[in-house]
Amino acid sequence: MARQAHVLVVEDNEHVTSALRILLEAADHRVSTAGSIGEALAVAREDPASLVLLDLTLPDGDGLSLIEPLRAAGSRAIVALTGHDDSATRERCLSAGCVDVLLKPVPARELVRRAGEWLAKA
Amino acid sequence: MSRLDAATERPAHLAGSTPEARIAMLEARLGEAHAEIAELRARDALKTQFLANISHDLRTPLTAVITHAEILRDGILGDLSPRQLESVRGIISGGRQLLTQVGEILTYARGAANQLMLVTSRFAVREVLQQVSSLNQSLLKKKRLTLWVEADPNLPPVTADREKITHIVGNLLGNAIEFTPAGGRVWLRAIRAEHEPVDSIVVEVGDSGVGISPEHHDLIFREFAQVDSTPSRPHHGTGLGLTIARKLVELHGGRIWLESELGKGSRFFFTVPVEQPE
Repeated sequence: MARQAHVLVVEDNEHVTSALRILLEAADHRVSTAGSIGEALAVAREDPASLVLLDLTLPDGDGLSLIEPLRAAGSRAIVALTGHDDSATRERCLSAGCVDVLLKPVPARELVRRAGEWLAKA
Repeated sequence: MSRLDAATERPAHLAGSTPEARIAMLEARLGEAHAEIAELRARDALKTQFLANISHDLRTPLTAVITHAEILRDGILGDLSPRQLESVRGIISGGRQLLTQVGEILTYARGAANQLMLVTSRFAVREVLQQVSSLNQSLLKKKRLTLWVEADPNLPPVTADREKITHIVGNLLGNAIEFTPAGGRVWLRAIRAEHEPVDSIVVEVGDSGVGISPEHHDLIFREFAQVDSTPSRPHHGTGLGLTIARKLVELHGGRIWLESELGKGSRFFFTVPVEQPE
């Protein structure tokens, strides 16, 4: 059996994090979580992720500032998760290097399906 | 303050002063009034920003509620009984309804702060009408309403923000469905405008529903207005739907209006210019 893919969820709301963890683990992925930029860096340096789901508003700064250090630490696909539905935010995420931008709340089935697609490409 | 001096018939506080002194005093007052307006504008902007922040912040806990409920619905943590499933579906649709209303407040706040921008593409209005029609099929069926869509396939495509035009049509059709009793008719129509200053398409969203009396026609486009705003009113919502629709129509350089009488249904119209100015 193939090794489980590692997905890192960077999100500061613990209830959102727990929902994403349940969904992704049910789809047979290995899930780590981080509630801040600092925590995310610590996790990613130890154990780079194949897929990172990244909230933009974190208690210690802008989630997008994580993209370069995460990449440098060996993480692959980075997808932004945001509550902002405007096209300016979308553009900002894509030009910062996110492979996709998802608007919260992403329907559960769609999240699992898309996570599978990014992991296949990563 | 504006008492008249009996001898000079001038406002009492200006009596006996030289014209220069009076001008200076009036200029000082004008300055104060300008400062007051600036202060009120700043406070209004602050309130709008607060509205935008709060509605954005509401999305995160709503995401948690909806996603956890979807996990239960999808049986990821085990199968539910039919009644448990019905209850969980109630949580999801209530959550999604709340999300739509939060989205409306956010769009309104952006409109009030002039932060809405058009992302234009070229498309046929007919496609939007068909898309909105198919999105509403289950609601129409539930209320036993008939919907017909009429658009000349030879209408020119428009250069406009497709998402925003879809939002306007969706909002107007949503109202038409809500305010039309079971068994009634609703329709979507697009024709070439005849008397507009620029080449435009007119979209009509009509219904055979309860109608709106003419004295309320202006009121309904104002923010937070509902024709019946008592807490027991039968129809709910933020009261921002039509204000946003008008803002989005005007952002495209079009106009929106209605023809309606109480008990005789409503016909809402809006125009979309075929081209956007460079």
